Amino acid sequence: MWRYIVRRLLWVVVVLLVVTSITYVVFFVMPSTDPAVTFAGKNPTPEQIEEVRRNFGLDKPVPIQYLTFIKHVFFGDQYGWPGLGFSYSTRSPVKDQFFDRVLVTAQLAVGAALVWLAIGIPIGIISAIRRRTLTDRLSMGIALFFVAAPVFWLGLMGLWLFWFKLRWSPGTGYVAWDQSFTDWLSHMILPWIVLAMLYAAFYARMTRGNLIETMGQDYIRTARVKGLTERKVIFKHGLRASLTPVVTLIGLDLGALLGGAVITETVFNLQGIGQWAVASVFQGDLPVVLAVTVVVAIAVTMMNLIVDIVYAYLDPRVRYN
Amino acid sequence: MGKRRQSVRLVGLALALALVAAACGGGGDEGSSGGNQQTAPEKGGVLRTAISDFGFTNGFDPTGEYVAVAFTLYGALTRTLMATKHIADAAGNEIFPDLAADAPEISSDGLKYTFKLKPNIKWGPPLDRNITSKDVAYAFQRINTAPLVAQYGFYYFGVIKGMDGKAKSPDTPISGIETPDDQTIIFNLEKPTGDFLQRLGMAATAPIPEEVAKCFKKAGDYGRYVISSGPYMLQGSDKLDISSCDSMKPIAGFDPSKSITLVRNPNYDQATDNLRGNYVDGISMKIDTNIDDIFSQVEAGTLDSSVSDQPPKPVLQKYLTDQNLKPNLHSNSGDRTWYITMNWITPPFDDIHVRKAANWIMDKQGILQAWGGTTFGDIATHNLPPIVLADKLGSDYNPYGTEGNRGDEAKAKEEMKQSKYDTNKDGVCDGAACSNLVMINRNVTPWTDAEAVVVASLKKIGISVKPRELASSAAYTTIQTVKNKIPIALNAGWGKDYADPYAFVGALFDGRSIIATGNTNYPLIGLTSEQASQFGVSIPSGVTIPSVDADVDACQKIPNTDADQRNQCFADLDKKLMEEAVPWVPYLWAKNITVTGKTVTKFEFDQFSGYLSVTQMAVNNKETIS
Amino acid sequence: MSQPALEEQFEPTAGDTVAAARARSSWELFRHRFRQDKAAMAGAIILVILALLALAAPLFAKITGHGPNDLFADEMLTADIGLPKGPNSKFWFGGDSVGRDVFVRTMYGARTSLTVALVATGVAALIGVSLGMIAGYRGGKTDTFISRLIDIVLSMPILLLAIGLASVCSISPNGCLGGLLQPGLSLVIAIIALFTWPNMARLVRGQALGLREREFVEAARSLGARSPRIMFKELLPNLLAPIVVYATLLIPSNILFEAALSFLGVGVPQSTPSWGRMLSDAAAGQIFTVAWWMMLFPGLFLLATTLSFNLVGDGLRDALGPSER
Repeated sequence: MWRYIVRRLLWVVVVLLVVTSITYVVFFVMPSTDPAVTFAGKNPTPEQIEEVRRNFGLDKPVPIQYLTFIKHVFFGDQYGWPGLGFSYSTRSPVKDQFFDRVLVTAQLAVGAALVWLAIGIPIGIISAIRRRTLTDRLSMGIALFFVAAPVFWLGLMGLWLFWFKLRWSPGTGYVAWDQSFTDWLSHMILPWIVLAMLYAAFYARMTRGNLIETMGQDYIRTARVKGLTERKVIFKHGLRASLTPVVTLIGLDLGALLGGAVITETVFNLQGIGQWAVASVFQGDLPVVLAVTVVVAIAVTMMNLIVDIVYAYLDPRVRYN
Repeated sequence: MGKRRQSVRLVGLALALALVAAACGGGGDEGSSGGNQQTAPEKGGVLRTAISDFGFTNGFDPTGEYVAVAFTLYGALTRTLMATKHIADAAGNEIFPDLAADAPEISSDGLKYTFKLKPNIKWGPPLDRNITSKDVAYAFQRINTAPLVAQYGFYYFGVIKGMDGKAKSPDTPISGIETPDDQTIIFNLEKPTGDFLQRLGMAATAPIPEEVAKCFKKAGDYGRYVISSGPYMLQGSDKLDISSCDSMKPIAGFDPSKSITLVRNPNYDQATDNLRGNYVDGISMKIDTNIDDIFSQVEAGTLDSSVSDQPPKPVLQKYLTDQNLKPNLHSNSGDRTWYITMNWITPPFDDIHVRKAANWIMDKQGILQAWGGTTFGDIATHNLPPIVLADKLGSDYNPYGTEGNRGDEAKAKEEMKQSKYDTNKDGVCDGAACSNLVMINRNVTPWTDAEAVVVASLKKIGISVKPRELASSAAYTTIQTVKNKIPIALNAGWGKDYADPYAFVGALFDGRSIIATGNTNYPLIGLTSEQASQFGVSIPSGVTIPSVDADVDACQKIPNTDADQRNQCFADLDKKLMEEAVPWVPYLWAKNITVTGKTVTKFEFDQFSGYLSVTQMAVNNKETIS
Repeated sequence: MSQPALEEQFEPTAGDTVAAARARSSWELFRHRFRQDKAAMAGAIILVILALLALAAPLFAKITGHGPNDLFADEMLTADIGLPKGPNSKFWFGGDSVGRDVFVRTMYGARTSLTVALVATGVAALIGVSLGMIAGYRGGKTDTFISRLIDIVLSMPILLLAIGLASVCSISPNGCLGGLLQPGLSLVIAIIALFTWPNMARLVRGQALGLREREFVEAARSLGARSPRIMFKELLPNLLAPIVVYATLLIPSNILFEAALSFLGVGVPQSTPSWGRMLSDAAAGQIFTVAWWMMLFPGLFLLATTLSFNLVGDGLRDALGPSER
């Protein structure tokens, strides 16, 4: 078991190195414009541009820059650990803003996850139990609608209806929860719901499918024959088997979401890391882009690892693959 | 890009004002912009503002910073030898002695400027001493230091003797600046510079205390430790521990990703300052990326004013139609031209007839509508904004005027027929050179909307462009790299750095300003073949690139004191550019819009920075800064 | 995002005539099932309508007299600050923020979405099927290498890199990769294909792994057939069904990907109408609060397209598979 985990951890490191080097190539090597010029002001002399390049650490050859970057990530830089460099735009350490940004994304992701689980799974269960009834068809129809609808359109429609017309929602933006809990909540509700709808629909469909399939299994029939009530059959035996894949999927989805629900954050103007990374790409603030990429890659691969470990724990066959 | 400028009436007016100030003693005067006026604006309260992004290019370090929003704040945080009153319109572009006791003594050849500082002007906390001429000289030494990347350095290098921007450390003294005693500072110039006094109003020249700044050797680092020489200081400055470089921690009042907060400088003496009103007790500017939220907060009263964010059209609609809200919408000249730039070494724009045709065909009214109508500006009829030329060209001057400013297809085609790119003389550009032209643009409104108008207009004369939408900084960097040979671009605008036409002309039309990267003379006016080979481009055969360098020099010789003649000279140059050179299609003279709330009792616009004037506005909220 | 579970087994074919006979009855079974599935039929019909609308877009431009990029500022923008005007008899879906006809643009947008979806998915399928088959059939080191590649691509922050690639290729006037990739439709297609092939590959690999131990493959190998022939003639026909189902379900995901990229401003250029771009125009400066039509119509069409593909995909899966749904 441990060998498996160690092997996987090593693989995480490899993935990180590959992903970050690809990111490096895309943002540092490919562009034909020099980021230093962007931040050197107007009419910069070549000497001034050189100075800025030196300040930004861009005067060294790219492979050296990359290795320095990796070294800083693991061992810290002059601003502390982890060494994520300093933002070209604010000229302050990336690390300082990072926590606040991750917090916002985490709040969005976790909140939405709670909503979609609370909605999606019960609906999936009910639909499975009342298969082929109107309830089933209606809820699966609605689920299909939300699976197909683009998140940004739902967001815009939500804003138009609940903010512009009904004035129930305070609109876009983020308010920190320690500043005002009610403001924070009122700003987060609409993004939570919009983001959750997509996943709720998907989870509902999946739960329904899994439960139906599980219920067709032999051991369920056995349980029924043994005289257990239908309710016990479903909840004690059926759900456990059908929900296991769901639980692991939550891990994967959360990991991906923590990578920044970019579209939702953009539409609702929430200062999470996704929106930060996108804005930084447009501004040419490369250290931020790199930092976010690293963290996202770590989050996704670690989540994958955890999920796989859980699977391996449950299914020994996987380990020896 | 770029900031202020204007014409100046100097010595006489300055002297008169100094006399008046001495007689009346303190209290700046209101300018002419809207808002409720009271005889004596009430003091107190906090001016609460929000902005979507500071956009500082040098971390708020005055030595290198060039963003206008920074200058709005520097007006409260620093004092310079000469300064404006931070009010609106032409009066706001006049320059007066601020740290200087009087206008300087200027030698007859215009090469030596002697200033005497006002006595007993103290530094803000945590320092406890007077500002001396050595502090002013130190600021120039920082400008001269290469690692500190003074982004306005080019206004001083080669102008002040001994300044070349190559010094390795700010400890290096400058030969052309003398400080015989604590109250006197003398500048020796290389050549007569008519707008030198204006250059002494730039925030980079404000005094800087060596005991604090010596710890910050990299560009931008000092920005979190700026010590006040003005009426306000960064909140928390008094807590700065300057016993050693290591003991210094960034001042609490400035968090680059969150907000900046200024409070009154206890060491400041209003009696020494007749330029600023200083009514509010505190100024706060928070970052709020949600532009819509900024405007709803202003309307709700939790904010007092917007800063540089322009209101989205639905908000604008509301303010224009609601009589109660309308007085709170202030629209002031931004001293800025937005233009389409055409590259003189790329076909088909290497042909002047094509460029003239582009001027005739452009649907400028359509572009104005995309921007949001006359609230946002006036249609530009020539290159430099009228206020910058002190209206010397007159409002009737419109060399490419068309009906309703919608463009005139007939005239454009007549012009195009004279071009070599119209081979069959049907008035439409034909041939490979007329299509697939990369056009750089920004990727946000209203530029993206204006793009559609420009593309449609150009199509009428057979020019088809491939728009590339980029973020603002990337868009600038792309067109500023000469090697890229971008044929045409829509993203460029230029605002004054200070109130003098040279601040436009020098960087935009002078062939000697062309540099390989960071170039702002986009059309490449005055490009020589040596320069061309130096930058890795070539001038198409059969094309001669005209130059206006001689005209620029002639105008630069005229001193500021002769404002009328100086402005007329530059106005004639603008006329020549419009009719004989045709580098651009100017389309808008922008106005900056500020929206204030009901708590603002006195609104004032700072013509120098182009945004609200924090030292002249008054509010009646009873907020305080803890 | 949607991961269809495809464990359905197929009757393997061996020998042409037998295969033909079996195939005919499988095919008829499939058609019968699909026809019975009302939702799937509805989806298919909507798709056909959308395809027709897309094809007819120039016709609509002619009928209304409004091209997709023609500006009608005088008619459709308010005089003072240029606010767009709503639907009327000449502009059925209203005007957008520069005075273009939203209806005509929506029709042209169908072309963009369908083109991108089909081409990008096609390319992704091509890459994914090839790599998946090779990995599943060959096994060993090849399999490990390709599987690791899949893991890496799936761990990448796709949207970030897509934005990065798109903006990087927009900056230089000649695009990137020596002019091969110009910003615009081809770049978007390339990016989407580049990032969406892994799941297809994984699916195909899994299926191939299962199939390679089967007798018919054994038989073909013993007859002396070489690997490529085996993969294409024996494996591929049996994989066709899950591939088609997955591809059909991948299409709406790719449509949304393109729309998302256009929404963020790095998709197709403005002159190519795209529903995602139109939604981004609606969101800019919150103009949709006073111009709801700019947001409603492109969104509805986008929804209809993705919904139909999902319905058809679900229907295909149900019709091709044996289990009770």
